[in-house]
Amino acid sequence: MKKKRQTIFTGIGLWLFSIVFLYPIAMVVITSFKTKAEANILSVRLPETWHFENYAQVWEKGKILQSAINSLQISVGSVILILCMASSLSFILVRRNTKGCRMISRILTFGIIAPMAILPTVELLKRMGIYGKKLSLIPLYAALYLPFSSMLYSSFLKGIPRELDEAAAMDGAKGMGLFVRVIFPLLKPITATTGILTFMWIWNDFQYPLYLLNSSANWTLPLSVYNFYGQFSRSWNLVCADMVLVSLPVVILYFCAQKYVIAGMTAGAVKG
Amino acid sequence: MNRKKMYPGYMMAVPLLFFGVFFLLPSTVGFGYAFTDWSAYNTDLKFVGLRNFKEILQERTLSTAFVNTLIFAGVKTIVVTVLGFVFAIPLNNKRMKTTNVLRTIYFLPSVLSTLIVGLIFNAVFESRHGILNSLLTAIGCEGWIQPWLGSRWPAVFSICVAEVWRNIGYAVVITLAGLQSVNSDYVEAARVDGANGFQLFWKITLPLIMPSVNVNILFSLIYGLKMFDLVYVMTGGGPGHDTETFGTLMMNEMAAGRFSHSVAINMIFTIMLVIVAVLFQKYSERCEYVE
Repeated sequence: MKKKRQTIFTGIGLWLFSIVFLYPIAMVVITSFKTKAEANILSVRLPETWHFENYAQVWEKGKILQSAINSLQISVGSVILILCMASSLSFILVRRNTKGCRMISRILTFGIIAPMAILPTVELLKRMGIYGKKLSLIPLYAALYLPFSSMLYSSFLKGIPRELDEAAAMDGAKGMGLFVRVIFPLLKPITATTGILTFMWIWNDFQYPLYLLNSSANWTLPLSVYNFYGQFSRSWNLVCADMVLVSLPVVILYFCAQKYVIAGMTAGAVKG
Repeated sequence: MNRKKMYPGYMMAVPLLFFGVFFLLPSTVGFGYAFTDWSAYNTDLKFVGLRNFKEILQERTLSTAFVNTLIFAGVKTIVVTVLGFVFAIPLNNKRMKTTNVLRTIYFLPSVLSTLIVGLIFNAVFESRHGILNSLLTAIGCEGWIQPWLGSRWPAVFSICVAEVWRNIGYAVVITLAGLQSVNSDYVEAARVDGANGFQLFWKITLPLIMPSVNVNILFSLIYGLKMFDLVYVMTGGGPGHDTETFGTLMMNEMAAGRFSHSVAINMIFTIMLVIVAVLFQKYSERCEYVE
């Protein structure tokens, strides 16, 4: 009986604490429907009338559509490249498991630890003649997230017995054929996890576009919000509407694919 | 069939090439610029040895950035790790029916772009009509009201709050997964032997999940040290250079046209992170060994 009451009390406590997370988010959503004057006082008080036209205004002035297309191109391109590279790389690293391979794995962890070398990267892109182009972000993101994705793939691959490869080899499969036809289909769960996680990170990233995309036609969504905020910082209602529009895709993705997001977070941490 | 034939090395070539060119090259060879007189006004580079390092070490901003970076990373790591346990332990209770819903809510901020989090907290800490100042008025603590992002320590505090808010979800999810992976037989056995709740946690549960906690701490430290977006959006490193971190300092030096300084700071920062990661790994390995 005492235990049951204790559970109820901690439950109430945990729910109360969830207000800390929900209040600011609710404030943003509600403010996005207010007039400019109402939005001056930031609170969760409901607006007198709901101004849906804020969204229309933001859609137009915030360059939402163009930025969303850019974000989508960059994120999808990078994720596909990451998945192809990380899965095949981990396959060889895990299966060969020689000294050299372990060395490569160690060098890859440098990619998780080291910060971005901004100016050298800018200079590199300039010399390659792709600086300022939005597609130049794709190889950069691919290189940035290769280590983490390989880590996820490697821990998963260790759970697939090598006897399977041997059996496939009997039928003449080896190398690329073995990987594409036999192994890759088995990696579906971890491919989903890695894909969704890296997609969210790249979609949300602000630092790379800030440094590397200067023309507004190439802006990604976070960058467009930032510039919108610079322009309309006195109109919290519009800024909030912009924030809602930009966050909606990842939040929906998170609700739909929560299982994979959580799996990825925990796999990354537990394995290390 | 031998392994070399079955797992041909050429399959590693493309990934390693990408990683080498787009990450490794700028982060190693690229630091050569730190030893030149490169700036926005001078593109005819000359080798100047360690001059840039001497210059930036003499400036006060680097030490400010160093202290701030350590505070942000340290405070965030400690608070988030502790809170991770505080919330994960009750959530791990099998009688809790709403664990999954609560976990979803706690993790929600982690899904948002750091930029969005920064803007939300700009609204929270805004000086005139911000949520915090309105709240303080409402509960009669007018004395506490201040422009939160307007001077060093309140601003550092505000940024820490935002960073913790964003990261509690991660910590809860990871700690909860660790707790759920603990085999309940051990706990039951210890309970039969007469261990109380406190002992169960310290002697049984914690050692078992220590490896995942350690990785969690390491990631938290590394990402905390690399913090950029939040500071950039909330204060831009200001007022003055009071809330500068390594991340924003590199940006601001670059914006001021002192390119070689920016690269030198970048290089110091990279070395610092590698040292932190290596030290931590050494230390945590020893911890696990003792257990």
